Amino acid sequence: MSLEIESMVRYTSPINPAVFPHLTLLLLGIGIFFTAWFFVYEVTSTKLSRDLFKELLLSLVASLFSGFGILFLLLWVGIFV
Amino acid sequence: MAKLRFYCIFLLYILIKCESASVDTISSDIRFKNVDRTIDISTQLVRITSKLTLENTGSTPVKNFLIAVESSAKNNAAFAGAKDSNNKDLRVVETTVKGYEYAKFWRVDLKEAVNPGATPQITVTLVLTKALLPYPTAITQQEDQLVKYIGNLYIYSPYYITSQKTNVILSSKSVESFTKVKPFTQQDGGIQYGPYPNVKPFSEKELAIHYKNNSPFLTVTRIERLIEVSHWGNIAVEEVIEIEHTGAKLKGPFSRYDYQQDHHSGPASVRSYKTLLPASASDVYYRDTNGNISTSNMKVKKDSVELDLRPRYPLFGGWRTHYTLGYNVPSYEYLYQSGNDYLLKMRVIDHIYDDMQVDEVVTKIILPEGSTSVKVNLPYPVTRLPDSLHYTYLDTKGRPVISFTKKNIVENHIEDFQLRYTFPRLLMLQEPLLVVGFLYALFLCVIIYVRLDFSIHKAEHPHKD
Amino acid sequence: MTVEVQAKTRLPQLSSDKQLTFIKLAVLSMAAILSFGTRLFSVLRFESVIHEFDPYFNYRTTRYLTEEGFYNFHNWFDDRAWYPLGRIIGGTIYPGLMVTSATLYNVMQFLNITIDIRNVCVFLAPFFSSLTTIVTYLLTKELKDEGAGLVAAAMIAIVPGYISRSVAGSYDNEGIAIFCMLLTYYFWIKAVNTGTILWATMTALAYFYMVSSWGGYVFLINLIPLHVLALMLLGRFSARVYVAYSTLYCVGTILSMQISFVGFQPVQSSEHMLALGTFGLCQLYAFTQYLREHLSPANFELLFKALLTTLLATLGTALVALTLTGKISPWTGRFYSLLDPSYAKNHIPIIASVSEHQPTSWSSFYFDLQVLVFLFPAGLYFCFSKLTDANIFIILYGVLSIYFAGVMVRLMLVLAPVMCIVSGVAASSLLSLHVKDIEPKVEKHEKKKKHENNLVFRSEVGFLFVTVLGCLLVSYVFHCTWVTSEAYSSPSIVLSARAHDGARIIFDDFREAYTWLKMNTPEDSKVMSWWDYGYQITAMANRTVIVDNNTWNNTHISRVGQAMASTEDKAYEIMRELDVDYVLVIFGGLVGYSSDDINKFLWMVRIGGSTERGRHIREADYYTGAGEFRVDADGSSTLLNCLMYKMSYYKFGLVYTEGGRPPGFDRVRGAEIGNKDFNLDVLEEAYTTEHWLVRIYKVKPLPNRGV
Repeated sequence: MSLEIESMVRYTSPINPAVFPHLTLLLLGIGIFFTAWFFVYEVTSTKLSRDLFKELLLSLVASLFSGFGILFLLLWVGIFV
Repeated sequence: MAKLRFYCIFLLYILIKCESASVDTISSDIRFKNVDRTIDISTQLVRITSKLTLENTGSTPVKNFLIAVESSAKNNAAFAGAKDSNNKDLRVVETTVKGYEYAKFWRVDLKEAVNPGATPQITVTLVLTKALLPYPTAITQQEDQLVKYIGNLYIYSPYYITSQKTNVILSSKSVESFTKVKPFTQQDGGIQYGPYPNVKPFSEKELAIHYKNNSPFLTVTRIERLIEVSHWGNIAVEEVIEIEHTGAKLKGPFSRYDYQQDHHSGPASVRSYKTLLPASASDVYYRDTNGNISTSNMKVKKDSVELDLRPRYPLFGGWRTHYTLGYNVPSYEYLYQSGNDYLLKMRVIDHIYDDMQVDEVVTKIILPEGSTSVKVNLPYPVTRLPDSLHYTYLDTKGRPVISFTKKNIVENHIEDFQLRYTFPRLLMLQEPLLVVGFLYALFLCVIIYVRLDFSIHKAEHPHKD
Repeated sequence: MTVEVQAKTRLPQLSSDKQLTFIKLAVLSMAAILSFGTRLFSVLRFESVIHEFDPYFNYRTTRYLTEEGFYNFHNWFDDRAWYPLGRIIGGTIYPGLMVTSATLYNVMQFLNITIDIRNVCVFLAPFFSSLTTIVTYLLTKELKDEGAGLVAAAMIAIVPGYISRSVAGSYDNEGIAIFCMLLTYYFWIKAVNTGTILWATMTALAYFYMVSSWGGYVFLINLIPLHVLALMLLGRFSARVYVAYSTLYCVGTILSMQISFVGFQPVQSSEHMLALGTFGLCQLYAFTQYLREHLSPANFELLFKALLTTLLATLGTALVALTLTGKISPWTGRFYSLLDPSYAKNHIPIIASVSEHQPTSWSSFYFDLQVLVFLFPAGLYFCFSKLTDANIFIILYGVLSIYFAGVMVRLMLVLAPVMCIVSGVAASSLLSLHVKDIEPKVEKHEKKKKHENNLVFRSEVGFLFVTVLGCLLVSYVFHCTWVTSEAYSSPSIVLSARAHDGARIIFDDFREAYTWLKMNTPEDSKVMSWWDYGYQITAMANRTVIVDNNTWNNTHISRVGQAMASTEDKAYEIMRELDVDYVLVIFGGLVGYSSDDINKFLWMVRIGGSTERGRHIREADYYTGAGEFRVDADGSSTLLNCLMYKMSYYKFGLVYTEGGRPPGFDRVRGAEIGNKDFNLDVLEEAYTTEHWLVRIYKVKPLPNRGV
């Protein structure tokens, strides 16, 4: 713990704050697309035609993209989590 | 929790013990050969700068000496500092002297010991707050503010002073009355006393100056400074400030007509003041509980951001206001890294206005969730408050909050603290994954919901929505 | 419908079922988002605060609720208002709004979403408008079809008549009440259509929510019985309606009586009697039906007559007895105000003085509803052409709310949703009628109808029609956006004006004054002002007020009016009596803010003179000989020497306001003030804001004896 300030480097964010808006739009766009796909699939498919694997996969992709999209949205609007 | 509190109290106790344990004695070897003292009372503060010429009349080298403040000004003393002839800061520690409990002492540790016969030059600075008393205590809107300074004509010192001079700097030419002890001269904006030869230790003689001082008498009664560190590249600073005009109180009505008609009206009132923020400050906001305060200007300068803050109303004597000032700074300015170890180097308190005096500051530092082994290194003693947890967006177990408080603060206290902590970088992924998990749970609920069938009788054909 | 058709050509790879779902989802969610977004003008232009005056009370109570919890809120005796009487807040408000936002706030706090309660309040109304959009879709879907539902949803998302009360920053009961109302209607239609107890209970729950949030629930509890009555008269009364209404009435009434402000009104007051009567009638009607099934016609006839006579006799006696004992009092002002809603307005000055209680002008119908005004009759026609139980309801709702909206501007809010629904039905029906004509012939092969082919230029006429309607709808969108942006999104707490160079000048005087009061007066000081500013002073300045916007005590308000209208020494007696420390007036003469206290002054005189102790204050004294209200040298001397005049114009006579005018020129009244040179004896100027909008005076203590 006896590190001195001289031996340390300045800390920067792993992702440049300047690209937060772009990342938000891109990730959230993809996320919404998959979410829409998922919901349309859920609503239109019947009990017989439903495929659990496809549902799980769609929702996973949708939540991954939306999740990161929402995070960057928060960072973009100034809520630094 | 109780255990934690006990622990904290215990620590505090030890801290106090340690401080009070430092008892010094007055060395009879030391003399001040020549002292040149400047008392600056042109603002609301009393700044006493003394150029001391130290003399070791003894036979052993002297490593430190004492500076003292008389009992009447004991509670006003906010800051004491010392510099050697090379303008390097010397360590100044508060201390006590047996038999002189009524006065306040600091011990100045010298860089090099003073050999017998040597005469080094030291500059000592003392800052007193609330030592200027408005007299009369209430004035009308048009009147000037008169204040009274009551000090010591001689330098209050535990040592024998061979020769001393005092120069008092005033804010204006108009002086109602002042102590006249020969030799003295009065020039515009100042009074010189001395030289007075051969003054005994601890000698006191009243020095009273009654003069016009229209400089802003603003006191920050309380400031809460919140520093929130985010590893996504941002440090958010928010200051909740309560300000009071502590000059002569306003007597009688406030007339807006006179105030608007004549710009010299209300000479003692404060219309606006300047706050300096770090040069990299962005997204500045200035608001109070009723919303945004729309009267402020921002100027971006080379080494700072200058905010011209205008309270909602001009501040007259006795009037108070409060506001919240916040801004963001990028993390690379203040945060240093080495592996999983981080070091935050920021100011304990920042500039609020020139010649500020602050009654109480509470600084809180919110670290990212999951930070451990926190260590703070402070430039001067403060009271550490118990650590707590702060819950905000996407938190699960809360962010550690380090807080400390200090009373009676002036500009000289604007110094950096260093805070070390350990934070595993992978924890940064916790927040996005939390959102992902939450969304995924929602989707799973939908998947399960469409498979449920609450109807009592079997539908003829599969339900279609 | 057009959208769907276009989509078919664009997305050939999806099955038509999926396309339809997708389009519906997309349109509906876009409408919901739009209805949220279009209400944010004021927040984006200014800031996220409560923008209106009255909602500050709701904001304050919500804050209290979140800080103190529900039980303290329920038992809250507010000593900051109506000094020295105080006010029991818990029992005199509809708590729905506060409970809603406090619940939302607590849920978010629990999830560590640390949003300030102020922001919850600011964005509550837009959020509920989004929900309203969805409920409108559901309701219209029940009435007509999904296409109409989507059109109606899109229309209500931006209808100015509703936006006026639900922009971000206006935190009013109406913001959530419209949602509750439409939800109740939706459940009611569902209940009537299905006849299940489940839906009827849901109706009762929604009704409970409505009762808890707005006094306008009375409209609802009269409309539904009317619907039932109409169904009876039209011979459509069925077991479904019986189940629906009986359940709703029993459960709903018991639930509504849980709101302490409503209390026993549902069984006592005349506004609720229609619901009670209809409930009784339903039972009789159903009983008669039952008997008719089991008895021979002759016996039934005899029994029916006998029962009817007995019943009427009993009811009549009971009514007379109750009236004599004073249990019910039908012939009061309340009853007249039910028959003639303008009654209260004409006879009680306090109600009359509120601008939103004025009758609606024709132009404001167009202003608030635009194309809906023309589509509404068409929609009614479509409803009549295919009469169902649900359609009868919407026709009743439409006609009644038009009547009420004509009486009071404020009730435009109730009219706007039904306008959207009916117009949605109209637009959708018209479009689907004519879009069929311009569809490519390929799809026509299956459903050939003979007379369709007889018309010439069918596709051209259809095309023309669709274009015209499309243009109308587009103009509706532009109109709504313009109205929202220009008329309904300018906050009243912050005023803005344009300087000569186009820069925006902000007059933030209200907050300046309230902050000053809050920070620089003793904690327990009492502030006297006209009642319009009471809620703000308690909420923003946290000081005790004599009267506020909850105008429950006429004598108290009248006393303040008398103080304002009297001379200084008379007013001093009243102020001593009311224990006033500070007096606050709004004065717009310097910047030209026209709704200031001098312009409201005649109401103060009228209300001040309306009670026994204020008999000496006569309105006529404040007019000139020619019957004019003037503040210049020709004005009546009573006016020029009253307290309000002096407080407004103190030292104003020295100020140059406009070039080329004498000093003391009042820019609102357009006149040089008549009484310039005077001093205040019993008051002293404590604070005046930068643009003189708010002036605060301190009441001097009694002079020392012998001085």
